[in-house]
Amino acid sequence: MRLVRVLTCAVGVAGLLTSTGAYADTTNVSFLTHWAPDTVAKLEAAAAAYSKDHPDVAITVRAVPFGDLLTTLRASGGSAGGATIAGIYNAWLPDLAKDKLLAPVPDAMATEIKSDWPAGIVGASSTGGALYGFPNEIDVYALNYNKKLFAAAGIKDAPKTWDEFLADAKALTDKSKGQQGFGMINSWAAGVIHPFSSLLVSNGGDLVVDGKPVLDSDAAKGTFELYETLVKNGYSDPTMATADANTTGPFLDNFVSGKTGMIIMANWWESALKSGMGAGFADVATAPIPVGPKGDKPRSISYSWMTVVNAKASAAEQKAAWDFLSWLDGPTSGPAGGSAMGDILMSMGILPSRTSDVAAFKDRLADPFLKGYLDTLPDAKPFPVVLGGQEFSEALQQHVEALQFGKESAADAQQGAQSDAVAILAKAAK
Amino acid sequence: MKRYLNGPLLVMLAPATVLLGVFILLPMLLTIWLSLQDWSTQTGFDTARFIGLDNFAEIFGPGSVGRDFKTALANTAIYTVASVAVILPLSVLFGLLVYQQRVAGGVVLRTILFSSYMVPMIAVTLVWSKLYSPSEGPLNQILGWLAIPPQKWLSSPDSALGSIVLLNVWQQVGYFTVLAVAGLTQIPKTLYEAAEVDGAGPVASFFRITLPLLRRTMLFSGVIAIINAVQVFEPVALITQGGPINSTNVLTYHIRRVGIERSQGGLGSAMAVTLMLALIVAVVALFAFARRGGEEE
Repeated sequence: MRLVRVLTCAVGVAGLLTSTGAYADTTNVSFLTHWAPDTVAKLEAAAAAYSKDHPDVAITVRAVPFGDLLTTLRASGGSAGGATIAGIYNAWLPDLAKDKLLAPVPDAMATEIKSDWPAGIVGASSTGGALYGFPNEIDVYALNYNKKLFAAAGIKDAPKTWDEFLADAKALTDKSKGQQGFGMINSWAAGVIHPFSSLLVSNGGDLVVDGKPVLDSDAAKGTFELYETLVKNGYSDPTMATADANTTGPFLDNFVSGKTGMIIMANWWESALKSGMGAGFADVATAPIPVGPKGDKPRSISYSWMTVVNAKASAAEQKAAWDFLSWLDGPTSGPAGGSAMGDILMSMGILPSRTSDVAAFKDRLADPFLKGYLDTLPDAKPFPVVLGGQEFSEALQQHVEALQFGKESAADAQQGAQSDAVAILAKAAK
Repeated sequence: MKRYLNGPLLVMLAPATVLLGVFILLPMLLTIWLSLQDWSTQTGFDTARFIGLDNFAEIFGPGSVGRDFKTALANTAIYTVASVAVILPLSVLFGLLVYQQRVAGGVVLRTILFSSYMVPMIAVTLVWSKLYSPSEGPLNQILGWLAIPPQKWLSSPDSALGSIVLLNVWQQVGYFTVLAVAGLTQIPKTLYEAAEVDGAGPVASFFRITLPLLRRTMLFSGVIAIINAVQVFEPVALITQGGPINSTNVLTYHIRRVGIERSQGGLGSAMAVTLMLALIVAVVALFAFARRGGEEE
């Protein structure tokens, strides 16, 4: 009897040790993103497919609203317990790399990335000569307009110049119906400054050149004045423009409900428009950004996102994370030679950046809505990636919003924006 | 005898004192020390560089950092004063209404009032963001039935902060009503009976008996309401993100933006220290005001 008891205990202890050993062998990888639940489900499905062949790696996905992504990264991402992988906006890269939160891509993988992605995209995912992650999405801005409202206002084609743009905005404005010609955005830094910057570069201007802000240019003066004209004449109503932490809110509601004639937005907007408009999405068309009096051709702003690995994660976690990302972004994980990441991005209407993905998803990229963005891409200028970029964006946002609400004149907004930008970028570069 | 008392006293006081010291006093001292340093929150304390009062000079200076901080400080002060100024009188009014023991359903009414306080702020915020929708929100639809033009609520810099105050009042007033009711139960009924015999009407009884004897309750409510208001965060983070044009940017949200998003730990600490000092001054002033009122009576 005593022997049986001893044997039972021994088996129990052995079982416990075995299970503990198995648990200890599992590498946990967490993936932080700002994607919506349906996209998170696709990422989880891809992670599950990867784990089938890699049972020793457990991948979990955590999603936060876009407005909380950087804070979450800063607050917990920089610790060993933070997310192992995170999707980040490239403008944040210099500051995050400076604070040593990100692990550089292992050399062998960096060589692969450099051969499989366009050089410009690889450059946007690098800082200080080091590549910090897998590039994934590219976003570019274009003019979206409501064809039904255009027809009702007797407008045949999308505006090509600022004069035509103002004339169309006037024709589309009908205060008795609560309808505005052009919809601006406020309370969301990127939503405010990206459309503004797209008009600026289409007027021959820039935000930053060689690390120095150039908002004191004539091209910038013209852009601030364009906003002032739109607001003063009532073609754009700033109270219809508020966004919330999920980058939705009244500005989205007003476009999908046919109360806004034109907006300037990025391609990722497609999924929000489809879910908000249903069959009415067929009324939405895409066109290049109208050219300003100082511009040479339609231009736009582009920016990219990338997936990075936490520098504070353990060596095993980092290794598993890079291996998973290599598979996720590789040509065997998705349909028809495309990557699983490319497939996920395409489901949101986002342009993938891997060269083989562009070929693999060429049918879906021929969609008229996305084609308008693809046509804009070759002449798009990348949004500046500089130290202090987030603070610079938020300072410019305040002046553009003040202009929208008539709290600052175009001249004051331009002067204030340039003066703030000079101080912020100089301080960040120290 | 003295030695005999000191030993057990120290033993009994030590756990609480140590816990307070480690979890409250030490972080406060650390924040004050960091407010005098140039320090990134992503690096160790060993990288902090002493810069004296430079952080304070910057947050009160003319640059974008100073402008945003002063706006956030002013917004927090306006939000706090407006919240307290509306919540306290309303809580007394509702307290008087639900305290009427002869009225049927008083307990049910009290429960309903308190229930708003039990709903998590995050849920309140999400619901109110839809109620405030300028085009499709129920609030503007109700106003339309009353022939009142639609309001801009959170979409205008002139009304956004007021809209957040309204949301706060709705959520908090039930809790303060319960406090007011607790205060009312402490007032002896004989005082009202004596006043009635002396010919005092309900208005005179309220100003001569109820309000003076509610002073301690109101002081407590005032302090709690101020502290709650200064800590406002969820509605700003979830709905307005400080906008439009920083009109709802309050200090807690701004400190998070500067200290965490931008990693400017020294600047964020200087802002936190300033907020702490402002709160101390406000609460001390409230106590002094209440004491002065008591002495005059």
